[in-house]
Amino acid sequence: MNRIPATITDIKAHDGITVISFAAMGQPMRMMALEIDSTLEVGSQVLLGVKASNIALAKNPVGPMSISNRLDAAIEHISNGKLLSSVKFRLGDTLIESIITLDSSHRMNLQRGDSIVALIKSSELSILEKL
Amino acid sequence: MIEIAVHKKLIGSSGPMKLDLALKLAEKSFVALAGESGSGKTTLLRILAGLEKAEGKINVSGKAWLERGKSLPPQEREIGYVFQDYALFDNMTVEKNLLFVRKDRALAKHLLELTELSKMKGRYPATLSGGQKQRVALCRALMNHPKILLMDEPLSALDPSMRTRLQQDILKLHKEFGTTTLMVSHDPSEIYRLADRVILLDHGTIKQDGSPKEVLLKVKGSQKFSLTGELLEIIKADVIHIAIIAIGQQIVEVVLDEEESRLFKAGDTVQVSTKAFAPTISLTGSTSHL
Repeated sequence: MNRIPATITDIKAHDGITVISFAAMGQPMRMMALEIDSTLEVGSQVLLGVKASNIALAKNPVGPMSISNRLDAAIEHISNGKLLSSVKFRLGDTLIESIITLDSSHRMNLQRGDSIVALIKSSELSILEKL
Repeated sequence: MIEIAVHKKLIGSSGPMKLDLALKLAEKSFVALAGESGSGKTTLLRILAGLEKAEGKINVSGKAWLERGKSLPPQEREIGYVFQDYALFDNMTVEKNLLFVRKDRALAKHLLELTELSKMKGRYPATLSGGQKQRVALCRALMNHPKILLMDEPLSALDPSMRTRLQQDILKLHKEFGTTTLMVSHDPSEIYRLADRVILLDHGTIKQDGSPKEVLLKVKGSQKFSLTGELLEIIKADVIHIAIIAIGQQIVEVVLDEEESRLFKAGDTVQVSTKAFAPTISLTGSTSHL
């Protein structure tokens, strides 16, 4: 599980559903949730969690996109298996891992140092703990 | 309002323990008492019933049941008690079991009708199934219009389908009579269906007190789908790792990253958590191995 430190910048709640916005190393992030812990408020520091296999990667994405979380980063490390590829990129002090298929990695010609956009659906982001 | 503030020294399974409880029960509420064995659940029921001594205060709708060392004898406390093992009078028919508590034929008839036991009123307990016996015990407990109905794991000896049936009967009777009820239960689905409040006891004190959802929903941060399991094995596959985890009677697989694979080891008790958005459900029996 990737762990990303972030600060809550906004909380919208209605009918037991919550949408929370964050700032993570200067980049905006957003999460869809059911009811959240009542101690969370704007300004709270939290640790966000996202599974490596729930992070998609793109190069120069164009056109509107429903995915809320688009993190600009540069690839620091690629480890290829027979079928899968582990791609690590840095967000501030945090190294984040994405697991994609080796085919995708080859198709995109992903190399160390490449600029990429990491894509995470808001439903796949969770708050692991309040810091 | 039922006000309880009792304390008592107990010898628990893990040595001496102090039962120290203060709680108020609203009239007509249905409260579940949960907690590990030895946490004081049954003791609290027995203290309320007057079967066990304690210090402190019990006040039921303005009437003192326990105050300054003066304790109202059990037979003067208006209590209905349902035990796990039915405790019916085997030498009396179903109807006589009810009438023994109070000679109110109309009420007995009404209760037996509500629980669909009318046809069995002339039978003896030995000829009834466990579920039927417990329905009789439930009716009998309501014969003297108790101020509090105490139930100590009333359904734990029954099979799952019978349990569901009894839960419906308990709900029906609670709606009809509005008897303030305190029920010891370990079964989350039973507590969720029946109770409007859960009190979780731990070593003789209240650990949690809230709605069934507040107390029972296991969450890990914002992850609302959280189960406890035992990690059996971690298998490396390609650039990922697969954890094999036993949850209840089932085995599940969870994909781990490299760091997680180093953090955990076989035998660890782990929380398996995900967001409420991720799992899908389908009717059982349609399981496929895709």
